Amino acid sequence: MFLRRSFAGLTLALIFAAGSAEAQQLSDHQLIQSLGKVKAAAPAIDITLLIDEANANVGKGVAGLPNWSQLTHLPQFAVEIDFENNSIAIEPESYRTIGLIADALHHPLLRHYKFLVVGHTNATGKPEHNLELSLKRADSIMTALATTFAVPANRLVAIGVGQELPLASTDPKAAVNRRVQLINLGLVE
Amino acid sequence: MATRNMLAGAVLMAAFGAAGIAHAQTISFADAATALTQDCGADIKKLCRGINLGNHQIQTCLEKHQAKVSPTCISTLADITVSIERRLAAQAGVFKVCGADAATLCKGVKGEAHLLQCLIKTKRIDSQKCNQAITDAGWR
Repeated sequence: MFLRRSFAGLTLALIFAAGSAEAQQLSDHQLIQSLGKVKAAAPAIDITLLIDEANANVGKGVAGLPNWSQLTHLPQFAVEIDFENNSIAIEPESYRTIGLIADALHHPLLRHYKFLVVGHTNATGKPEHNLELSLKRADSIMTALATTFAVPANRLVAIGVGQELPLASTDPKAAVNRRVQLINLGLVE
Repeated sequence: MATRNMLAGAVLMAAFGAAGIAHAQTISFADAATALTQDCGADIKKLCRGINLGNHQIQTCLEKHQAKVSPTCISTLADITVSIERRLAAQAGVFKVCGADAATLCKGVKGEAHLLQCLIKTKRIDSQKCNQAITDAGWR
């Protein structure tokens, strides 16, 4: 009986800790923790080279390429953000995720760092179209953060990589590959 | 009737208290976004299809169609705008407002992130102004 009661208490506590009826899995604390794990020997990233590599390898993947490989050494976090079909308009259901990112980027642990916003698609449709759409969507997220969510624009860079970097050991067509990566590029100069 | 209201109030306080916005003056961007989706989502889907969140375009669209937008959405929009402005102001001012506390209670602590950690630990003896600023900044 006692056990049962404390279980009920625990459940209630968990619901209250989440703060709202529709408990969100993702929290800004998670984002702050993951994105703040900066290593002393973090590589410097050249955005132009990333774009060149992506453009030169449409349909072939970028996972093994020198500049894209460097990104794996940096603190990062991936989120799902939904858009209207074939559009750059963010669905209202994903507004909260953008808000969480903004809260994290405004925190003292992160607010002197610069971030790369990388848009990904899954491998349905034409790779060229996917590359273009992923860039436009990453741009749209960056613009939302830099204007409506008041993150200084000089702390954000957006690029798209289309379908060229699916998550390891997934079907490239799987929906899970449609995602947005946030990568800590180091202190703002 | 009075009892019922008090009860409702207590339940609300308990729920909000746990979420950390008991002395609700500011809210996070995440909670503001959730409120926008909940109270304006239907209006956005109906009146602002294809319009984006950036450059305050959703807000502009809702204001433009004000006559067709639900009253709840309009009042939510006004509320979250004010709360977010207060939060951003608090975030910009925390280390200034807490300057004296930091100098006496967190001597030798360098960097904003560490300073904030220290000031959160010294909550019991921080000045009321400093505590309020940290709370309003959403950094507890």
